[in-house]
Amino acid sequence: MIALEILLATLPLVFLLSLLFEGIDRKVHARMQRRIGPPIIQPFYDFIKLLVKENIVPTTAARSIFNASPSLAAASSIVGAAIPLANLIARTGIIGDLILVMYLLTMSSIMIVVGGSSSGNPYGAVGFSRKIMMLIGYEIPLLISVVSISIKAGPSLIYYDIILAQIKSDKCLACAYISSATAALTFLLCISAAVGVVPFDIPEAKTEVIHGPLIEYSGPQLALLKLAKSSTIFSLSLLAFTLFFYFPTIYELSIVLGEIATLGACLLGSLMVMLLTVTLPRTVFARLKIGQAFKTYWFFPLPMAITSLMLSVLGW
Amino acid sequence: MVNEREVKYDEFARFILPVGPVHPALKEPFHLKIIVKREEVLDVELRLGHVHRGIEFLAENRNLIQAIYLTERICGICSHSHTTCFIQALEEVGGLKPPERALYLRTLIFELERAHSHLLLLGIMAYQIGFDTLFMYTWAAREKVLDLFEEITGNRIHHAMNVIGGVRWDLTPKMAEKTIRVMKDIEVTTRRIYDFFRGETVEKRLSGVGLLSQHDAHELCVVGPTARASGLVFDVRKDDPYAAYGDLNDSFSVISKKEGDSYARTEVRILELFELINIVQAALDRLPNGPINLGESPVRLMRRIPRGEAISRVEAPRGELIYFVKTNGGDGLERLKIRTPTLANIISLKKMLIGCEIADVPVIVTSIDPCLSCANRITLVDHETGEVKVVNADELRRKKS
Repeated sequence: MIALEILLATLPLVFLLSLLFEGIDRKVHARMQRRIGPPIIQPFYDFIKLLVKENIVPTTAARSIFNASPSLAAASSIVGAAIPLANLIARTGIIGDLILVMYLLTMSSIMIVVGGSSSGNPYGAVGFSRKIMMLIGYEIPLLISVVSISIKAGPSLIYYDIILAQIKSDKCLACAYISSATAALTFLLCISAAVGVVPFDIPEAKTEVIHGPLIEYSGPQLALLKLAKSSTIFSLSLLAFTLFFYFPTIYELSIVLGEIATLGACLLGSLMVMLLTVTLPRTVFARLKIGQAFKTYWFFPLPMAITSLMLSVLGW
Repeated sequence: MVNEREVKYDEFARFILPVGPVHPALKEPFHLKIIVKREEVLDVELRLGHVHRGIEFLAENRNLIQAIYLTERICGICSHSHTTCFIQALEEVGGLKPPERALYLRTLIFELERAHSHLLLLGIMAYQIGFDTLFMYTWAAREKVLDLFEEITGNRIHHAMNVIGGVRWDLTPKMAEKTIRVMKDIEVTTRRIYDFFRGETVEKRLSGVGLLSQHDAHELCVVGPTARASGLVFDVRKDDPYAAYGDLNDSFSVISKKEGDSYARTEVRILELFELINIVQAALDRLPNGPINLGESPVRLMRRIPRGEAISRVEAPRGELIYFVKTNGGDGLERLKIRTPTLANIISLKKMLIGCEIADVPVIVTSIDPCLSCANRITLVDHETGEVKVVNADELRRKKS
């Protein structure tokens, strides 16, 4: 029961942190382009502004799905980010929560495109088909890489067990085994596709399909969809950092400085992961075409993920 | 404008994707009806006319000096090309010969305009493929050219540099120095931009996209960089020199590529940037001394232009721009006909678009650098019979009343 209370308490924290992460991302992105960029709290302004705007539902839309999917997308991605954060705070976990988190994050991105395709707009439909293609591309390596390290750390499907394993073995997983290092690389490569930023923002490409699934959304619904996206970014960076790079010194910080220091170190680490996997690629790459992106994922991360799984089964 | 091809595919697999009139890939409104099957484009229908302004007709109702200002406002990017072309025709009718220095200054502004137009296109091209960083870099370089314009002519976009028989503003030696300095800056930036465009991330999106063979380019009479990227060596500056291009003939060469894809069209523009930097430097080196215009009041010069007609052409940044001017012997125009480069190029879009992917549509549309406000003409289409007819100004007036 305490775990549930902590989870509920984490939800507003996730809301704040994910929008803050987005603000930092936009600022750093702007500085790399020699722009001044928006203030770091700009996403909060955007969110509030969109909340008070009118919600327009197109007459061609399948009304109930169109209205329900933004809330579902936001809810699942926020909970998906809250579970690892709550586990970090409570220092415990329940069996299978790792699977639940991965499922919720996928659910969020599926709900976004389902809502878009229910709008009746052809661009929404194109965005839908592109996103499904992308899902097939990145989701499999992403899941395999998680499975690979959960075999290494136990085997266990409890998120906190993997962290405990890193503390016990006195090394972060990515440094400890070849299989885990490969898995970490796969996971990091998949983040930018999973959150849909350039070079993999193909389903939402602004100049090609006019934001694809988001095209007909306005007002509070759009605010929720944007929130869903930024909390997915936050969640995936947090997962990437804690699953693969949880240095035992981070845990030792709590003995010296208190638990808040451990949490702060984790957040700082995940911020670095976000800057490297989201902000940097979207600054230095052009958007790929759907065929090219699909090929990229099946030629690099997928074989890497399978190799990592095989290595971890073999005990490397 | 173009009839829909008979498409024999199962009805469920294909659907119509409307691109425009309002679309982030289009900087100006025009409508593309794209029939797609999954990601593949099967057929394209082009519709223009959303920004028709009737400038030819307006110009025919005003005197020549007012018409200069009107022609300047046809295009926000190649404003100097339009006035140069128009005034050249007027000077030919009136038998006026502008002084050498004026011709050199016209050439100078012309090439600076080409610089800012090409940089603009390169930036938009980067934006279309989702490369915002390159877009920002390119437009930062373009900003320097615009600042230069402001210092030389007083205006960033509509320079109002040309007057009948010469130019309005002279170039001080200090300004000439600054121009050379900025051009050196632009050269460095362009080299960097060229490196970006040669990088794999951009080349992946551009090469092999929107092919236009040399034969098709010839058949469709495309002009400018679009034609030169398809292997046609054709440049008004070389073939029919105007202003000071005759004297500066040795300072530049015509860039031509054989590939005919979007990458070639972009590369031609980048290489032209280097050429135009040479032209600007040569023009500044050889800038003759003397007056910059005929020293008479423009109104008096305008009244001296007799009845007559002339055709004038220049190489605008987007290609060959043609003006047919017929003066009425008073101070007005009897007929003005403008053939802008985009009007010649836009028809080739259909050839390029069929068979590409949806993701390539913005790239291909941008690669011909469409400037649509210049290219809109009125055509009435009868919806029931599909009959197409072009109306003239008199009919239009009758329809209005």
